[in-house]
Amino acid sequence: MAYSPLLEARGLTKRYGDTVALDALDLGVNSGEVYCLLGANGAGKSTAINCFLDFVRPDTGSALIGGSVVADDPIGTKQRLAYIPETVMLYGNLSAVENLEYFATLATGTRPARPDLLKHLITAGLTEVQADQRVGGFSKGMRQKVGIAIALAKGADVLLLDEPTSGLDPKASNEFHGLLGMLRAHGAAVLMATHDLFRAKESGTRVGIMKRGRKVAELRTDEIGHADLEQLYLQHMHD
Amino acid sequence: MIATIAAKEFRELVRDGRFRWAAVVVGSLLIVAALAGWTAWRTQAQTRDAAQSTMQAMWFNQPAKNPHSAAHYGLWAFKPQMPLGFIDRGVDPYTGTASWLEAHRQNEFRFRPAMDATAAQRFGEWTTAGVLQLLVPLLIILLAHGAFAGERERGTLRQLASLGVPARTLLIGKAVGIGGAMGLLLVPVAAVGAALVMRDSGADGLFRLFALGGVYFAYFTLFLVLTLFVSARAASARGALIVLLSLWAWNGLVAPRLAADMARGVAPTPTARAFSADVQRSLANGVDGHSPASTRNRLLQDSLLAAHGVSHVDSLPFNYSGYSMQRGEEHANGVFDHHFGELWAQYAAQDRAQLAGAVVAPLVAVRQLSMAIAGTDFAQHRAFADAAESYRRLLNKAMNDAIADHAAPGQGFSYLGDSTLWAGVGPFEYEAPGLGRVLVAQAPSLLFVTAWLFALVVTVRRERRLSVL
Ligand SMILES: Nc1ncnc2c1ncn2[C@@H]1O[C@H](COP(=O)(O)OP(=O)(O)OP(=O)(O)O)[C@@H](O)[C@H]1O
Ligand SMILES: [Mg+2]
Repeated sequence: MAYSPLLEARGLTKRYGDTVALDALDLGVNSGEVYCLLGANGAGKSTAINCFLDFVRPDTGSALIGGSVVADDPIGTKQRLAYIPETVMLYGNLSAVENLEYFATLATGTRPARPDLLKHLITAGLTEVQADQRVGGFSKGMRQKVGIAIALAKGADVLLLDEPTSGLDPKASNEFHGLLGMLRAHGAAVLMATHDLFRAKESGTRVGIMKRGRKVAELRTDEIGHADLEQLYLQHMHD
Repeated sequence: MIATIAAKEFRELVRDGRFRWAAVVVGSLLIVAALAGWTAWRTQAQTRDAAQSTMQAMWFNQPAKNPHSAAHYGLWAFKPQMPLGFIDRGVDPYTGTASWLEAHRQNEFRFRPAMDATAAQRFGEWTTAGVLQLLVPLLIILLAHGAFAGERERGTLRQLASLGVPARTLLIGKAVGIGGAMGLLLVPVAAVGAALVMRDSGADGLFRLFALGGVYFAYFTLFLVLTLFVSARAASARGALIVLLSLWAWNGLVAPRLAADMARGVAPTPTARAFSADVQRSLANGVDGHSPASTRNRLLQDSLLAAHGVSHVDSLPFNYSGYSMQRGEEHANGVFDHHFGELWAQYAAQDRAQLAGAVVAPLVAVRQLSMAIAGTDFAQHRAFADAAESYRRLLNKAMNDAIADHAAPGQGFSYLGDSTLWAGVGPFEYEAPGLGRVLVAQAPSLLFVTAWLFALVVTVRRERRLSVL
């Protein structure tokens, strides 16, 4: 690689007592890439993502964003990043616009105008009516859309996604991945943990398969068919 | 960023029905307590003023009578009502607010409501200060204990942290926002207080109210920051609540009681019975215990007769009864100075020992400051007691001197004083210490409160990393 990746894990290792959550994980995600982390429950996908957010401090090794070590500069490395977990958690008694306004103001340091906020929410797939409703009654898919809008408002080019579409209906999931493709086309680097092999093959540019904290395989999605990816995954899960 | 966080915390709280209810309940309690306290205060102030002038008039309008009878007739000295006395009654219910000034004896204070009150009444009496010291911190805890822990449980804290907001900014923003919401409840209460104080006391009362407001502002800030800090550290909102309620009970209920008990242990005071028995013994036999009244009188007579070269007291150039009564009075004053001096010193030692409790519970210092600024603390009670006692001595000396100087030999008790003599003593006037002097005297308590704030700020500043998972 001629240039350093936007997202990089160098020998990330994390233990919880006897369990090894991460075992010398190395990976890099470049601008314009969607890197999908696959692996069974407990394989260490979330732990890896959390290291990039400084939610978890690795025992050894380091997570880097844009060349800076996250643990050394936890605030600075977050300036270009957006995080969408399995369920985007919002303030139930504030409306979608109010939530977005709050997060976007904190992220950028300036208060965006309402038309801009509405534009992001609509790009993310919400209607104008929904934008002014309190999010307390929002479905999971609607919350994920607000999450995307936050990423858009922040202008993030590093995305950390932890099973963002699990539990979404196929149409919502499809829309979500459509947006992801758009962000990638604009040069974002995306690291996404997922159990959805089909989506990984469709929207991912690369996949990494994890097992007990270690990366056991890594390949480009254009080198492999759907069936082969599933075959490979199951094979790794067995031995 | 701080303003954004504060605005959102404020908006969320104000939309929260629980907050609205709690604010209305606590706000009403405060206003009711202030109004009730003020009504009682005004009645008492009017009664006091009326009684004081009646007393003074009765003294001045005495018919011609023997000055010593006049001294026995005596008069009451009433402690003036302080501008903020209705907010914090301080030690008044325990020490009393009036003293009977008469010949031969320094009396204890009377009108002590606490003596007549049942335990239940004592507990049930909510003064404004009581609500400010206990209920408002409780409200702060209930409102703010989930500020971090609750967001962590709901998952919004991860969303916030992923934006790159420093933990300290978040904490300050939340403090400002929750503080602002508390302001919605406290500012009207302060306005009601200011209006009541303005009605009767003018500028001095307002300055005192500002000072008092400053003390409580510091106290609430302390609680708010402490609550946020515990919330940031706790594993769950429930856990934070349990820790904070324990700290609240410790600060508000347990520690002050322990500090008072400890202070009584360090500087014990005699029971009222034992004290007055001691005083009686010393009055009879002198402070040294070896000079009974008969000996003292014989010595006095002998020395006077020798000094003037006469053989009978009736031949002295002044009236012996008046002279010897003043000497007896001075003997008694020495006895009072000795015993009351010891007693006051013990009380002062208790106050100091008790204040040490502020190391583990800020309320101990806040309570002291609150009473002092309201003019109802023990030191100011003593200042009044001293002034009343000086007046009593002055009055007795004037009566005895009149007999000594003007009564015919052997006629000390048939000599009559008149209104010139009564008026010559002048009225009892007492000026309570001003706010400046009170604050200087309260330097240790102020230091404790400042130290608490400082310690908390340092702790918070060291908090770099927020646990979000
Ligand atoms: N706070 C923690 N304390 C103890 N063990 C933990 C903690 N967090 C994670 N682990 C353990 O670390 C391992 C990796 O967990 P992680 O959440 O990263 O897995 P994952 O790949 O995201 O799983 P899933 O697909 O279920 O989300 C698991 O064995 C988990 O039990
Ligand atoms: Mg996970």
